[in-house]
Amino acid sequence: MISVNGLRKRFGTTEILHNITFAVPDQTVLGIIGGSGSGKTTLLRCLNGFERVSGGSIECGNIKLEANLSPKEYRHRVKKLRLQVGTVFQHFFLFPHLSVVGNIVEAPVHVLRAAKAIAEKEALELLESVGLKEAALRYPESLSGGEQQRVAIARALAMRPAVLLFDEPTSALDPRRMASLRTMLRGFVGKGHTMVIISHSLGFLEGLADNLLYMEQGDLVEFGPTDQVLNSPIDPRTKDFVAQAE
Amino acid sequence: MKRFPCLVRQLVAAILLSLLLSNNANSQSVLRWGADPSGGAPYVFTDPANPDQYIGYEKEMVDALAQAMGRKAEFVPSDWETLMSALQRGSFDVIVNGFEPTTDRAQQVSFSKPYYIFQLQLTVRRDDTRINSLADCKNRVVGTLGNTAASRYLQQEGIPFRTYADPIGAYQDVELKRVDAALMDVPAEAFYARNNPKLRPAGEPFLNGLYVVGLRKGDDTLKAQVDAAIDHIIVDGTLERILKKWNLWNNAQVEFQNTIRSGNKPEIAGYVMTNSTFNWREALWRLTRAALVTVLLAFGAMIIAVVLGMPLAVGQSMGPSWLRSVCTIYVEFFRGTPVLVQLLFLYFGLPAIGLTMPGWLTALVGLGLNYAAYESQVYRAALEAIPRGQWEAAYSLSMSPVLSFRRIILPQAFRIALPPMTNDFVSLFKDTSVAFAISVWELATAYRELANASGQFLLLGVAVSLFYLAMSLPMAHVARLLERRLRERSTRQEEAVEVLAA
Repeated sequence: MISVNGLRKRFGTTEILHNITFAVPDQTVLGIIGGSGSGKTTLLRCLNGFERVSGGSIECGNIKLEANLSPKEYRHRVKKLRLQVGTVFQHFFLFPHLSVVGNIVEAPVHVLRAAKAIAEKEALELLESVGLKEAALRYPESLSGGEQQRVAIARALAMRPAVLLFDEPTSALDPRRMASLRTMLRGFVGKGHTMVIISHSLGFLEGLADNLLYMEQGDLVEFGPTDQVLNSPIDPRTKDFVAQAE
Repeated sequence: MKRFPCLVRQLVAAILLSLLLSNNANSQSVLRWGADPSGGAPYVFTDPANPDQYIGYEKEMVDALAQAMGRKAEFVPSDWETLMSALQRGSFDVIVNGFEPTTDRAQQVSFSKPYYIFQLQLTVRRDDTRINSLADCKNRVVGTLGNTAASRYLQQEGIPFRTYADPIGAYQDVELKRVDAALMDVPAEAFYARNNPKLRPAGEPFLNGLYVVGLRKGDDTLKAQVDAAIDHIIVDGTLERILKKWNLWNNAQVEFQNTIRSGNKPEIAGYVMTNSTFNWREALWRLTRAALVTVLLAFGAMIIAVVLGMPLAVGQSMGPSWLRSVCTIYVEFFRGTPVLVQLLFLYFGLPAIGLTMPGWLTALVGLGLNYAAYESQVYRAALEAIPRGQWEAAYSLSMSPVLSFRRIILPQAFRIALPPMTNDFVSLFKDTSVAFAISVWELATAYRELANASGQFLLLGVAVSLFYLAMSLPMAHVARLLERRLRERSTRQEEAVEVLAA
């Protein structure tokens, strides 16, 4: 369960996120939608501790990030938080000097101190589950965008996080690959993961997200079950956005 | 306003004309003489009280000689090691610099009559009781000037020696125990060492040698004039007065000048002439030893540079602001001042605060500190070229900053930094040549001294270049291999996968 309460984020004197409150129940998928510059990515970066919150709080598992914590305590809690939260970046950021398997076992071996042989065996299983077992010894530069994304997913999963954050996972995919990614992610829910996904593609989120959150200019405009947000939104701004997206 | 350019033109014309005329007049009545004034007391040196003038007993003597010849003396400051080649190039007409006639020099220049009898004096630390004569120096190192009677004598006697560009450096290194003793011509010893409370003469002066004026071969008219002028200033007592003024008058001069005054020729045979023995086998052996020193300097300095460059780069690009300033000051200081000046400072300056290092170590540390500044910038550029996303990806996997740096950022930065690092290493190889300034026997020093002693500038130059190439080419080759291996690893891995699959 992730709960965000009255979250504010300021850069200098500019407030980017205003008083955001929502919750993501365990084993559900939250889709975040909104135009460019609406604050979606900043919100996601608050959730994995890359941005420090300026007001309100984020609670994830038993860890709570609050604005008034000392820098040291905040860092300490972010460290614990990240053990539970995995991130798949829009541009993946695979490690180019490591093979596909090397990318996946890096953190389990050096952070969790897993035995290398066991970590590698698990990595191959993860690769199999994302359909990339044959690429195990290749290097990132020789992979297509879609393949790199699946390696990035496997890399995040190797740390066994309860929560997975995705920033624009559909931006580099054609419709067919989008569908297979959706099936894959849906499967993760069954395996116990909670997910937060930023996407421009409402079609992608429609069959995947349990709840949707619509943002505009740093405000949470609408938050509710996917069906309701897409088909009978309360706020006229949401209605406009959904209409234009379709 | 219109008149002004016209005036300027007239002025320029007048200046040009006067320059032309004065040049013409000069060639008639000027005696241009070359000598090395740096550390050149009491021969010829910069007047401490009046730094744009030169003084010295030879300066006064040449003035007297020129006057006797009806000319005007004009001093051409030059470098001791290249005096003979400068004479042959026509930079000046005569060498007057405590110049000793030797058989090898006789092949390149001709000599006037002698004008002074010199001896050699050994100097040691006052508290050093081990050395009382040159015989006690068999297994010690003696400092002296390069390509002089003293250095030739030491070479003949098989005594290890280190050469210096001027007496000050040699005597200072005796004081600092970098060498055990110094052997110099008495005039230099009298000026630089005799009144130094930390030094004492070891034994009596020995080996009577001659100073002569060096001339271009075939310059017979000038030689006749110079010889006549030397006789003239000896007979009329001018030289005696000058030598007395500079405390250089002694029994040997009395005897020598009396012979001249009585109209006899001095018995040249009674004087020692040192000889430089040059053979290719020994030269190549000495060059090889020098090459090894060069390799040691280059590798040692590079290790310091590589190791120290990293914390500098990290401090400068990621540290707190005070650390950034410290690193920036370090980098700008070492990049912004010549490495030669840094070496001289380390070698001659640091002993003042009680930190004395031998020459080779000074060169190694100095070059290392200097190149660390450059390497840090290579690293910094490489570190900053790694996208921010790589850090964030590592952090998102719960990796600590140190772990992220070591496992993710550094290996990628290393690949970017490798080509410029190789480049720096090759240039460091060549920069080791500045170590000659602090008398480290490396390749460039070896070339300079062997070539000056033998006149074999061309052949030795080729040999030395081959030595440098023999060292830098394998380096470049190894670096290329390493770069290629890093680059090709991914493709090779793919092949490996294909082989596995087949």
